[in-house]
Order: sequence, then C-alpha cells, then structure tokens
Amino acid sequence: MTICRTIVGTGLLATGLAVSAQTTGTPPPAPAAALSYVGSETCKTCHEEIYNNLQKTPHFAIETGARRGWAQKSCESCHAPGSKHAESASADDIKNPAKLSAGDVDRTCLNCHLNEKTPVGRIASGHAKDEVACTSCHSVHGAGGAKLVDHKKPDINAKCATCHVSQWASFNRPYKHRLQEGAMSCVDCHNPHASFRADSMRASFGNEPGCLQCHSDKRGPFVYEHPVQKLEGCGACHEPHGSANPRMLARHNVADVCLECHSNLPIPSAKNAKLGGVPPAFHDLRSARFQNCTVCHIKLHGSYVDRTFLR
Amino acid sequence: MKLLAILILLLPLGAQEPAKPSQEPDKPAQEPAKPAEQPATTTTAAGEGWIQGSFELGYRWIPNIGGNFNAYRSVVNLGEGPKLLDADFTLIDPSKRLFDRADVHATSWGGDPYNTLRVDVKKDGLYRLTADYRNIAYFNFLPTYADPTLSLGTLLDQNSFDTAIRTTNIQLDILPKKWITPYLGFERNTQFGRGVTVFQTDRNEYPVASLFSDQTNNYRAGVRMELGRYHLTIEQGGTTFKDDQGASDTLTNPGNFTGTFLGQTLPLSRMNELYRVRGDSIYTKALVAANPYSWLSVTGDFIYSKPRTDINYTEASAGTFFLNRILQFYSAGQDVLTGDANQPHTSASVTVELRPLPKLRIVQRWMTDRFHNASNALLAENLVIAGAPFTDQQLANDRLILNYSEEEIDAFYDLTSHITLRGGYRYTWGDADVRAPILTGLSLEPGNLRRHVGIAGFTYRIGQKFRVIADAEGSSSDQTYFRTSLQEYQKAHIRASYDLLTTLRVATDFNLLNNNNPDPSVKLDFSSKVESASVNWTPKWIKGAHLLLDYSRSAVRSNILYLVPQTLSPASSVYRENGHALTAVANVKWVSFGGTLFISSGSRPTRYYQPLARLSVPLNKHVQWNTEWRWYSLNEVFYAFEGFRSNQLITSLRFQR
Repeated sequence: MTICRTIVGTGLLATGLAVSAQTTGTPPPAPAAALSYVGSETCKTCHEEIYNNLQKTPHFAIETGARRGWAQKSCESCHAPGSKHAESASADDIKNPAKLSAGDVDRTCLNCHLNEKTPVGRIASGHAKDEVACTSCHSVHGAGGAKLVDHKKPDINAKCATCHVSQWASFNRPYKHRLQEGAMSCVDCHNPHASFRADSMRASFGNEPGCLQCHSDKRGPFVYEHPVQKLEGCGACHEPHGSANPRMLARHNVADVCLECHSNLPIPSAKNAKLGGVPPAFHDLRSARFQNCTVCHIKLHGSYVDRTFLR
Repeated sequence: MKLLAILILLLPLGAQEPAKPSQEPDKPAQEPAKPAEQPATTTTAAGEGWIQGSFELGYRWIPNIGGNFNAYRSVVNLGEGPKLLDADFTLIDPSKRLFDRADVHATSWGGDPYNTLRVDVKKDGLYRLTADYRNIAYFNFLPTYADPTLSLGTLLDQNSFDTAIRTTNIQLDILPKKWITPYLGFERNTQFGRGVTVFQTDRNEYPVASLFSDQTNNYRAGVRMELGRYHLTIEQGGTTFKDDQGASDTLTNPGNFTGTFLGQTLPLSRMNELYRVRGDSIYTKALVAANPYSWLSVTGDFIYSKPRTDINYTEASAGTFFLNRILQFYSAGQDVLTGDANQPHTSASVTVELRPLPKLRIVQRWMTDRFHNASNALLAENLVIAGAPFTDQQLANDRLILNYSEEEIDAFYDLTSHITLRGGYRYTWGDADVRAPILTGLSLEPGNLRRHVGIAGFTYRIGQKFRVIADAEGSSSDQTYFRTSLQEYQKAHIRASYDLLTTLRVATDFNLLNNNNPDPSVKLDFSSKVESASVNWTPKWIKGAHLLLDYSRSAVRSNILYLVPQTLSPASSVYRENGHALTAVANVKWVSFGGTLFISSGSRPTRYYQPLARLSVPLNKHVQWNTEWRWYSLNEVFYAFEGFRSNQLITSLRFQR
C-alpha cells in the first residue's frame, strides 16, 4: 500500500513538473491589444452605487493603497481590464466572478488573502471540495454596509443555515448549544475557510479539539484518561448540534451510551479487538443505582484521582 | 524571550515596502488618468454622525411557568426584568487619532442566561483589536438524568449543576494588511458555580453539594508574513489552568443504598473533598501556504504542544463505610493524592493541490496526530477501623498513547463549465495503547485502526443560481478502536439550492449514514437519515414581507449487542428516533409570526414548541416599538413530569441613529 501511494504521489509530482516545464517557460498570452485598464473612475460613471458601497469597505484600500499595485484600479483588480466593456457596455465584455467556477473565484480572492489567519489550508477544506466560492458568503462590494461578511452571531448563523439546513434544524431540539438564542455562532466551533481537523472543526490551545475552547476543564491531561474522548472526540457520546436527550447525549439512557462500548470480553490476541472492557458483575442493571452509570462514574471525561472515574 | 526578540527585530521590516511578488497580476497596459485625491477608506460620509447604530431596551414578563421549573431552567432559563436586548453601533473618530472605526455589538444583558459582547476597533494600517466575550449560564437539573431514586418519586438529579461558563477572546493585529503582521492574543475560559455530585464509597454513594471553579488562560503571540507567493505564520502560545472544585456535606446522609449491609446501615455523617489542580502548556505553531507555480499550491501546518498538570487532592469523610479491599467497616477516612500528568502532542499536515491541466485539479493531503500521556499518582489512605488507625499507600501510573495518520487524494475534473466530478481515496491508520480493563490483568491494551475509504461526488452549477453538490463515501474496515466506530459504512450527502427568482430561494439537503459491524459479538446496525427543505422568499410586491420555511425530517435507527454485566449474556441496545423539525417565520410589514417546533417519536418521544408573534411599530424615524410574545413548551411522553410550558411577553424600544 505504501509503495502504491509513493508511486501515485511521484507520478503526480512528475506530471505537474512536466506541465510546469511547458507552462513556466512560456509567458502568459498577452491580452488583446484593445484591452486596457480604464480605472475605477470610469467604472464609477455607470456603477456609482457599487463604487459608493465599496468606498465604505476595507476593499477600498486596494483603490487607495499602492501595495498591491492596483491603486485607482480596484474594480479591475478582480474584473480584469475593462476598456472593451467601457466601450460596449456589454456584460459579455467584462470578467464577472459571479459567473466563474468556484475555483477561479477563490484564486482571484486568494491572490491577496492567501495568508490571512483563516484561509490557510483552504484547498483541503470541505467548502473548497464542494466548490463553494468565497463570494458565496462574502459580499465583495460590501452591499448594504461597511462589512464584507456578517459579524453578528445571528447573521452568521442565518448565512450558514441557507445551505446547512439539516444542521440548523438540529438546533430546534430542546438540548442544544445556544445558537438560536444568538449566544453562539457556527464559526465559534467551525472554521468555514479551512481546518486541518475533521468537519472543519476549530482547534484550541494549539492542537486540541475546538470544544475545549469553552469546556477547558475537560482538557486534562488527566492522570486517568477516558480514551474515547481523546481517540474519537466528544461526538462519540454527544450530539453537539442538538439532541432530544439530556446533556445532548446520543442515546436516551446513559447506560446504553456506556455499554454499547463497554461490552468486550478480554481477548488480548485478537487483531480486531475493541477497546473498553465490561463492567464487573456487581453492576446489576435491574437496580436503579446501576442504570445511570454517571451516578457513580462522575468524572468520566477523565479523572485526576481514580482509574474508574469515581472521583 | 526568543520570540519577543524576533518580533522586535522584525517589526521595523513592516515599515519597509514588501518584496515585489514574483508573479505580478496583469499590469495595466495603459495607465488611467490620475483621479482626484481619493477619500479615505472609512471617512464619515456627509450627513453621517460619529456614532451610528441602535439600542434596544425592553422588559420581559413571564406570567407563568407551568410544569417542571428545573426542566424549564435547564432548557430555556429566561427570566423576568429589564433587559438590554441588543446594542449594535459604530463609532467613527473624525480626527482618526486613536482609531478609525469601532464596531460594538452586545446582546441579552440584564440577567439573561447568555450575554455576548463583541468589539472591533481598527486604525487602518496600524492595528486591529477584536474582543469577544460570552457568558452562558449552564443550568442542568433533569430528573431523568442520573437519578436512581426516580422510581421512588423523587425528582432530583444527582449530577446537576448551576454554573456559568465565560469565554473571552482578544486579539490585537499590529500593522494589519502589511506584508508582516505581528499579533497578540489572549483567551480566558472560566466555569464557576455550584451543583450536586456524588461521593462514592464501595457500598454506597451519597449526593453531596459541589462547587465548580476552574479557569484556563491562553496567551499567544505570532507573526504572519506574506512573501510574494510564500506565506508563513509562526505562533507561540502558552496556557495556564487551575481547577479548584470541591464537594462537601455536613448533615447525616443515608445515600442511595438505604438497606442494611451485614446488619449495618451505611450513612455518611460528614465529608469534605477538594481538588487543587494546576496546569500549564506551551505550544508552537507554524502555518505555511505557498503558490510557487501557477499549477501548484501547498499548505501545511505543524503544531507541538506540551500540556501538563499537577494534582493535589484531599478528601476527609466520616460515617459508616465498608471497604471491599480489606472486607471491613471503617468509621472515618482521609485520602491524600499527589500526581502529575504530561502529554506531549504533535500534529502536522501537508496539503498539495496540483493543477496539471486547466480542467483537472488534484489534491493530496497527509496529516498526523500523535500524543503520549504519561501520568503518576500517589494515593495515601488513612482509615479508622474499629477505633484503630489503618494506613495504606498506592502508587499508580497510567499511559494513553496515540499515533494517528491520514492520507487522502482527490481528483476534481471539470467535465463541462457546469459540472465538476470528484473522486478520491482516503486511508486512515493508527495505533493506540490505553489502560487495560482490570479483568485482563494487563497494564495496557492495544487498539488498531485501518480504514480504506472510497470517495466520489459531483458539483453541478449554473452560475450562482442553481447548484447541486453530491458526495458519497464508503469504507470497509476490520480494525477500529471501538465497537461503535465507523467500520463498514456508507455516507451520502446531496445538497441543492435554486434561486427560482431573485427573491425566492429553495434549498434541499439530504444526509445518509449507514454503519455496520458484523462481528457476531457486536452486530452493530446503525442508520441515520436526514432530509431537509428550505424556502426563503422576499416578495417585492409586498413591502417588508419575508417568508422563511425550513423543514427537516430525521430518522435514526441503531441496534447493537451489549453484555449485561451481571450475567455477561448478550442483549440488544435499541435506539430509534423519528424527528420532524420545522421553522416557519413570516414577516408582513410590522408583524412577524411563526416559530419552531420539534416532534419526535421513538426511544424518547419529545415535543418542543417555540411559537412567537412580534409587532414592530416605528414611532418615528429613530424609535421603533417592539412587542413579542413567545411560548415555550416541552412534553416528553415517557417523562411527563419533566415537561414545562411558559408564556413570555417582551416589550421594547429600539433607538436608531
């Protein structure tokens, strides 16, 4: 398997290098002679409302600053030279990111935003794989305000909910994180740009799961860890978006949550043996005392004192 | 100190012009005529004041809360009284001396169970300061959770709490948008409050009062560098942690076991327990992003952290107890534990995107996550047995070791300008060593993970108007860590949205997960299916009208064998849930009405309703009067005693400038 992966990887790299040899040595095709930059003032004559909106946004720094090389040509920094469009006034004669593929839109944005704190790793993110362009969430011209994207938690949630309908519906359940109440937003836990963790989860304290940002008492390291928390994450027992079960548990009975894993007879030599033993026989499930494991095993996220999480 | 020195050395560089990017964007072939001097980015437009925004002040009445008040507090927890419901304003400093612009947003202040505050202050080219604060009351007292006396008619929760979780997040970016941007960050998370927990002995357990008090501070500093096509972020962080939770009881407490054991009852007469945990961590993080060629993008990260904790624990108790280990009763005990735990943790990933052909994109990703928790603890026990002292000491150590890796390759091909096909393969593998169950007689047991996943999907789009995203993946594996882990599974996901009109958007969403473990001792058969549809309509011909409809149907079906502990005979754990969630809100001019509901059947049938009606009347250009009625109702068929219902009325004035 390792050999296969190495061959595939080497092949890909070789392909890329071969193509690069063709492309890097050749200058990009020159734009048609008729195409030239006309400047934002020219654009403004017809698109005054857009220009005025842009003026209130951080993107106007492109117009006023020399850093990116687009001073006084901010419109054409994304829309490409506009001389032909200025003459014909035809929408076909100007580059419109709204009609481009998501990848092309992203590359346009990332020309400037590649290393801001969030987009690093975007090429591996779920949004990139699903071809969700930056402009799906960001209003480049700042329509309706000075901001390019919503900052208020309810607005962020509403934006995410337009696509993630099922996830948003989970918050209608009684036991949930407080998103509908406006106390939290989707981006408190997920990084919509990129994350190296599964499900675009944020990281906290360097490389710990994002849940620990608010539940830092569950971080440890504990003297006695509960392996499932570190190996499978909080989602092994909890439904973080919302649940019909108290404590957002994935099952209606606490004992079911625990015993579904803790039912393994010791078979040390088995290659596919599962982690987690079976409770000793005095755990008589017919007694109410043993039907809720957390009555006694109160430190089940990890214990500093007791290997069976009793204290 | 090294980091500080580097920062100080690098700061002057920020004032220099950045290196010219090796691949400039297309240079203008013809320079435009120089326009007149441009206005500054955030100038105050004519007619706009130095402050703009709104405040909403109001009062909430709660005429009644019927049913279980503690369940109401656990789920809703809103209270009566005057409130600052919302404040959202922007300050613009005309002199631009200290800042150009400050945005402030605050919600739900005045005794509500969740308060938020966000401040965003910036001065172009010099700094940006963002501060985010959140305070969430965390009340949980549900009779159906972990209370063995429920069958006796006692509506308690022996594992309940009434705490608040506060999170603060502050970041200062210096010289934002320059090619080198140093930044400083601080985060604090605290939890404090009280609750009920259980003091456990070998033959009885006693509900006792508990106190929560923990705090984590995270300090970090870093620098982001943009070097043409290469970008680098380096961050150094450190964490401090303290946990001072405790539990106590001063009254005679019979505990959950009210019978006799060897002719004696087992009451607790007093106890006191105190944790004093102190922890710290350092971490180093490096993020890299690069576009060295037009056909190649690379990103990667490396993070190393080393959290550790020191533990001091004391517990003193008196009563009548039984110790299984020596088969004797004892009347008082004192435990003292000192310990420590260390967990070096390394994570790294690299992602490469190749674009060998204009229509082809290949993304290869590799990541690893490795940690090794090593801990030691010394427990000293002093017991009083029949009036004589008895002392014992136990030295223990524990390990949790994980080496996890993942590799994925995906190819994206633009079949047409509207269709992109995707196919890929993911391989995840890992090994873990964890503490073995006592019955095995071993100290550690190994766990292995080997998972091969095939991936396929497509995206179909027509501009921004119509989009379908479909993903599917399937896996077959015989080595997973846990009985419930993803083993032989199939996932599918289809999401579509269509802008029927510029004012009407329809979206649908379908998610499916099937997971099986055919092992005869497990027989896991899990299925989860969610179907959703959404309509968002803003008709132009009715001023101020808007309709939002979201409907979601979910079905969870799970069967798995487990062992009944007292007999070790197999039994089946069955979970079913068929849920319907609906959100419907309509606005017509001054009136809004609708709400949300969730209805489920199956293992825990539940009905949770939150209807609302709202009237918003503009009194003049700057003031709006809002009145809102809400109804909260929770009904659980099997646990009727945990239901509640409540009417609430809020009236408020919104001031806008």
